[in-house]
Amino acid sequence: MAEKFDNLEEHLEKFIENIRQLGIIVSDFQPSSQAGLNQKLNFMISGLQDIEKCRQQLHEINVPLEVFEYIDQGRNPQLYTKECLERALARNEQVKGKIDTMTKFKSLLISELGKVFPEEMVKYKAIHGEDAPS
Amino acid sequence: MTEMFSTLFGQNEAQGPPGSSSLGFGPGKPPPPLPQNQVSMTGQMPPQLGDEGPALRKPGAMNEPFYLLRELPVGNELTGNTNLITHYNLEHAYNKFCGKKVKEKLSNFLPELPGMIDCPGTQEGSSLRSLIDKPPVCGNSFNPLTGALLTGFRLHTGPLPEQYRLMHIQPPKKKSKHKHKHHRPQDPLPQETPSDTDPKKKKKKRDDDPDRKKKKKDKKKKKNRHSPDHPGLAGSQPNSNSLR
Repeated sequence: MAEKFDNLEEHLEKFIENIRQLGIIVSDFQPSSQAGLNQKLNFMISGLQDIEKCRQQLHEINVPLEVFEYIDQGRNPQLYTKECLERALARNEQVKGKIDTMTKFKSLLISELGKVFPEEMVKYKAIHGEDAPS
Repeated sequence: MTEMFSTLFGQNEAQGPPGSSSLGFGPGKPPPPLPQNQVSMTGQMPPQLGDEGPALRKPGAMNEPFYLLRELPVGNELTGNTNLITHYNLEHAYNKFCGKKVKEKLSNFLPELPGMIDCPGTQEGSSLRSLIDKPPVCGNSFNPLTGALLTGFRLHTGPLPEQYRLMHIQPPKKKSKHKHKHHRPQDPLPQETPSDTDPKKKKKKRDDDPDRKKKKKDKKKKKNRHSPDHPGLAGSQPNSNSLR
């Protein structure tokens, strides 16, 4: 999996570097640089071909749309990952708190019902077994 | 109280299932009595559509004082009760991203990328969102430009107008500690210099070098004259040890 990304990354880096050099040539163009410009333009096309080839290997990769928003806003996309993990942990803790509370409530309810309705609770425990008051 | 319990658990045999609306959360009044034949059907009723709870107990397992008893959830089911970050082996990612402060700007993530990448992409129409909203025309293959096609790329000589020179404007980079960090691995340092304080010590050594060399040379000359042993190595060892 990592090889696919490395391959794409390498092609993208080459492509960006080529574009940067193209920008430098164009920014102060001299007649003598025409051959170099033509070469860079064809490099750009071959670079696009290489990136196109990488596309086939990365079909199953899903990127959350929110990441695009971060990038569009000029923000570090790692912040998205960070916030996702923090949100997941917070929700995890919330749910755990609810489960713990409900478990306590269940055991308390069963013990209290056992006091008031002892016979029925014996039957109830017979159905649910030992796990009833958990 | 017994009445309350029978209301909750349906102690009365004559009372059939009051329907999905009275699963213990109803208005509190006892469900209306149903005919005897309907009671026998209670266990055979298929689970209702949309009922997301666990299945009702089988008729055989159905105990008399209770109806609408549900199976307890399976214990090994993955829930929020377990630490899901640990469960999916994401501790490393969590410590990496949440343990330290992640820098806000995109240029911190892509430091090698030229241009002003911290500006919102929507301003200059280069947003990734626009790629989704208006997908580019795909399907055509990329073909290299031949001589005739390249004639269209003959440019005027001279510099570009100011407004198009954005390509070379880089965000001001702070002279941070990173520079030192980058230099360190590139320097062909010997393997026996593990501590961070080494470069300073090395500098000092380099500064003192001319005087030391002179003194050493003098000492060597004197010792070579007077003794047959070569004390040079022995004399240099404490120095190398002091670096460590």
